[in-house]
Amino acid sequence: MAVEYSLVLVQGETDQVENLEETENEAVSETVHEEETVNPILPTVPEMVWGGIFFAALLILFWAVLLPPIKRAMRARDDEVRDDREKAEAARVEAETLRREYEATLADARGEATRIIHEARTAADEHRLEVVAAAEQEVAERRREINEEVRAAREVASTDLRSAVFDLAVDAASKVLRQEVDRDRNREAVEHYVSGTGSL
Amino acid sequence: MSVLAQVANGLADVAQDVVELAQEATDATGLTADEAKANAAASGAGMAYGLAAIGPGIGIGYLVGQAVQAMARQPESAGQVQTTMFLGIAFTEALALIGFVVFILLKFV
Amino acid sequence: MFAQVEFPPIENIVEWPEIFFKDTAVAFNKIGLINLIAVLVPVVIFLVAAAKYKSRRVPKGIQTIAESAIGFIENGIIMQTIGPDGLRYLPLLISLFFFILVGNLFEVIPGFHMPANARMANPMILAVMVLVIFIAVGIKHNGPLRYFKSALFPPGVPTALYVLVTPIELLSTFIVRPFSLAVRLFANMLAGHILLVTFSVLCITTFTLSLLVVIFPFAFGMLTALTAFEIMVAFLQAYIFTILTAVYIGGALHPDH
Repeated sequence: MAVEYSLVLVQGETDQVENLEETENEAVSETVHEEETVNPILPTVPEMVWGGIFFAALLILFWAVLLPPIKRAMRARDDEVRDDREKAEAARVEAETLRREYEATLADARGEATRIIHEARTAADEHRLEVVAAAEQEVAERRREINEEVRAAREVASTDLRSAVFDLAVDAASKVLRQEVDRDRNREAVEHYVSGTGSL
Repeated sequence: MSVLAQVANGLADVAQDVVELAQEATDATGLTADEAKANAAASGAGMAYGLAAIGPGIGIGYLVGQAVQAMARQPESAGQVQTTMFLGIAFTEALALIGFVVFILLKFV
Repeated sequence: MFAQVEFPPIENIVEWPEIFFKDTAVAFNKIGLINLIAVLVPVVIFLVAAAKYKSRRVPKGIQTIAESAIGFIENGIIMQTIGPDGLRYLPLLISLFFFILVGNLFEVIPGFHMPANARMANPMILAVMVLVIFIAVGIKHNGPLRYFKSALFPPGVPTALYVLVTPIELLSTFIVRPFSLAVRLFANMLAGHILLVTFSVLCITTFTLSLLVVIFPFAFGMLTALTAFEIMVAFLQAYIFTILTAVYIGGALHPDH
């Protein structure tokens, strides 16, 4: 390639040849310059040395000095948190048990109360029935007594009336007959009459 | 004359034209061999990076799209998908970066 | 009328003059300084956090940073990729994460504006270290014979195909892995750095009394947006480097799955 280009340039005019010499000189200086400059991609030894030293220092520091205390503190805190959580869980379970027991007791008490009330109600009902029965019995007795009294009184009154009627009849008869009517002899007739005329 | 020979002739003509054009350009600009080489390297560098960016560009786009789809379908595995996605991007991107290094080598060395 | 956009030569934006030990193998430059700060920042954060546990046990402020970093590495990276037996690699992974993250963040920190990982040295050292570590883990937990057998002769492949599979596995496990690990980090940070430099140069050039000043708001807006984007990239690359390390260690620890 270079030969071709040179040939092309040689075929040109003389000032171009001068030009060529100049550019060639420039090219030479450029190549020299390029040899001096370091390839921007290749690593340089001092930078590698320092990079290695510093990274090794950082690695050792992290491994030996920096991480252990922080990891220890974090682990201690995690353990504590776990303990606290377990304690809280235990306390919660205990509270739950207590609540269950309390609720069971409460349910028992409620049942007992219901039972007691029921019993009391039953007892009161029985008592009421007894009292009512007794009262009814008494009332019935009183009624019977009163009825008997009334009957007795009616009999007494009837007897009194009958004798009064008899007396009145005898008196009336005596008056009518203008003579004394023998009471004992005429008793039967009067009585039959009184009875026959009407019931008192 | 066969078709192939015609095509070959045509190509030879085009090549001749290109060479003449290049010679004319060289005559006009007065480039030295090194400068011509530097120019070729510079255009080659641009081309190297441009070509190297195509594949990884498509690849990373497809990769991230699939990862987003996976994360949308299964949000619970988003962390795992994301890690794998970054790994995939790193591997794919390396190709483009090697292209970039070639660019630097051609352009500046 | 038009100011010309002059992009600085690449060595001006990625190479830095040596401060101490000039022209020796241990020359100390800006990258070394950033690395030093990348060590000091996590050390200070974790020391202060550890000291505060004496007085208060509920995390607050700087303790939250330390604890969420540990939680992120443990739950977001180790448990997802290795499993519970990977928790002993926490120091390695967390120091990788912080070293890379802080080194990356210097890309947008005023006064530095240079990601330490935009030089190949850091990523390469870290990748080679990761290679050594995952091979060592594999040999320690499975024995050298079983580890290399499972790495080079994956089970479930017809015997004839080992002619094809074994070289590929050798290449991909022991060469491509560290190479891609280093190049991924390096190229991401270098690309971001060049992007920021480009838009900064554009901002400076257009901040003139020429017609180009109409472009300035757009260039400045892009620069601002890209700065935010690069902060995200800094986190993402630290995360990816760490999680890939975890994946490789996990693969060496449990070679059967």
